[in-house]
Amino acid sequence: MNESEQGLDFSTVIASTVHDMKNSLTLLMQAQAQWLARLPEPERNTSEQGVIDFEFAHLNGMLVQLLGLYKLGANQLPLRPDYHELDDFIEAQLASHQDVFKSRGIAASYDVDPLSPLGFFDRELIASVLANSINNAIRYARHALLISVHDEAGQTVLTINDDGDGYPQQMIERQDDYVQGINHSSGSTGLGLYFAGRIAELHQRNGIRGRTRISNGGPLGGGVFSLYLP
Amino acid sequence: MLAYHQKSFLIVDDFSDFRSSVRSMLRELGVKDVDTADTGEQALRMCAQKRYDFILQDYHLGDGKKNGQQVLEDLMTDKLISHESVFLMVTAESSQAMVLSALEHEPDAYLTKPFNRSGLAQRLERLQQRKNLLKPILEALDHGKPVEVLNACIALCKQDPRYSPLCLRYRADALRDMNQNEALERLYNTILADRPLPWAYVGLGRLLFKRGQVGQAKEVYEKALKLFPMMPALYDGLAEVLVVEGDAKRAQHVLEEAVRLSPLAVRRQALLGKLAMGNEDFETASKAYRQAVSQGAQSRFKDPESNLGLAHALISKGSEKGLDTRTRLEINSTLSAVAKENPADPGLQIRARLMKATSLLLNDAETAEKLTEQAMLRLDGMEQFMSPEAALLVAKQLQMLGQASAGASMLKNCAEIYGDDPKVMQGIAKLTDDPTILNTSNAAADLNRQGVRSYKAGTLGEARDLFRRALAMQPKNISIALNMAQSLLHGADASADPALLEECRASLKMVGLMPDSDPRYPRYQKLRSKAFGE
Repeated sequence: MNESEQGLDFSTVIASTVHDMKNSLTLLMQAQAQWLARLPEPERNTSEQGVIDFEFAHLNGMLVQLLGLYKLGANQLPLRPDYHELDDFIEAQLASHQDVFKSRGIAASYDVDPLSPLGFFDRELIASVLANSINNAIRYARHALLISVHDEAGQTVLTINDDGDGYPQQMIERQDDYVQGINHSSGSTGLGLYFAGRIAELHQRNGIRGRTRISNGGPLGGGVFSLYLP
Repeated sequence: MLAYHQKSFLIVDDFSDFRSSVRSMLRELGVKDVDTADTGEQALRMCAQKRYDFILQDYHLGDGKKNGQQVLEDLMTDKLISHESVFLMVTAESSQAMVLSALEHEPDAYLTKPFNRSGLAQRLERLQQRKNLLKPILEALDHGKPVEVLNACIALCKQDPRYSPLCLRYRADALRDMNQNEALERLYNTILADRPLPWAYVGLGRLLFKRGQVGQAKEVYEKALKLFPMMPALYDGLAEVLVVEGDAKRAQHVLEEAVRLSPLAVRRQALLGKLAMGNEDFETASKAYRQAVSQGAQSRFKDPESNLGLAHALISKGSEKGLDTRTRLEINSTLSAVAKENPADPGLQIRARLMKATSLLLNDAETAEKLTEQAMLRLDGMEQFMSPEAALLVAKQLQMLGQASAGASMLKNCAEIYGDDPKVMQGIAKLTDDPTILNTSNAAADLNRQGVRSYKAGTLGEARDLFRRALAMQPKNISIALNMAQSLLHGADASADPALLEECRASLKMVGLMPDSDPRYPRYQKLRSKAFGE
């Protein structure tokens, strides 16, 4: 049999490097939090702190996405869907961005229909999509961010709303190109849309695939990112 | 709010910075009772001493150490953790840990690094709420009472039907434990008709396989693998099906796929070794057994069979050219471990020596002879039965080592114990053409078959008589002895007639020497407890 030793395979390299990078990031964030706790109150809420918190979260989101994209390409992204409590799920995402919200003065809230409290999806994958889109919304939001969930013809629709200027019209018109990976020109937002679209597609029910949608308006009047999960 | 000051926490992580950071987060939340451990072994010892409400377990505890998944498995198998406790698996990258996790032992949640205090607090708060919601189910699980679990699920679903999907898994596991196969199959099918839940596919496949509906089990696994190609448990199930269908080659390929996804699995590696060995793919076999041995060192699934398998694969791989020094060293160390760690098991002592002697046949005939002698001495005094695979290999090696008559008596013994199994007889036929060995079991096996027919027809006296005659010919035959015992216990007269009970006990005593790996061992235990009133 062909059992000659192969060199390191790239997925192992990426996985273990991201693993190390995330451990570094973890220790950095913890050290920073402890250091911050020792500072007198007025020195805690500086604008630099806002930058640090946001970039920590951004960096982490990118690492997760990097690994996710690689695994998607190599068909190694595991899908393990299950029923999850939606309010818990969204709360967890908001809680992990709590420091950024605070330092940027953004009021984040969520709204889940109490009649359908459960959703069916892969928690890790959808969490990475949500984390990225929250990150993106924070970048453009002025004061407010709202995540709402509703049921649309049997599909769970998660929307992330902000009160910023919204997506450029051209991006909204050509969003399918981004999702299909045809156009990467708009940097991290475009790549994020591609990633989100691919993750959404992995979720299927009776032949219907999950999808994403960007638009402007919504209850906060800014950008709206919607994730449809069948 | 969670009453943090009343809850006990255990943090398990090999990074001291991480432990102290999480500890200070918990203190800020008001937690008073925090213990820490830096290895899984230490965590297990601590959980044996004290019940923790929350365990934060890091997944990677360093190479060559128990990982978080193994710690969780040990905690659950040894019942060191209550179902009401919250077990959080902390990882830098959760999707990989999920692929590697065993379906039977999943943590309550994964917590992905990095996390901050509000993130941690949110998870703790919510998980505690869920535990409170499910409390009656979890209590019943701790008591090990599946009927109560089922009732608790029904009550909860009635009280709040919105949460009924959260009970599905508990319901299915309870029905499985109660052997309610029809109801379980209906439940799985209902679940899967609505949503493709990976664990439900695995459960349905296993159920169908258990009931002998092998073809249907195969369909379920193949369908599920299209949806979830990253689920090792589905490959395991499919491989099991293929083995039964006699397609050992494809079974091996399927298991290799599972090993690629999830290499850290002692039993999977050992099974792959066995399959590859049967397929004469010694390269794959030695690799898989080597993994099983080295991973087994930290695992509860450590098994000397893997050491013997590794040595056997290495010997078979190099038989033409003789063995190089490195291979001889590896064989030596893996077999020494068997001999050293199992001093009271004569079968393993014999097998380790014969295996080593076989490996030295070309290079060191003198030592080989000495080891063979030692093995022969022990073989003489050994009463326990070896498994058929082990017995056949021992016989073959005895033949190779120039002990033809000892080999023949081993085969004869094996034919007596397992002669009713045509597969074993085929194996024996490969090693001998001596008609006295090959035909020795025919008459007894025939009587045994007739006995089973009479037993099923309800003519108990006739059945007993047939089994009695068969057993007189072959007193060590496991099937016949078990049938004898069962037919004696079946009638109303067994308790009244001390002679019948004595006869029953005698036949069980003899086959009590069977290896506990034998598939009939549970049946033996059941009969034994009936006959001896234990």
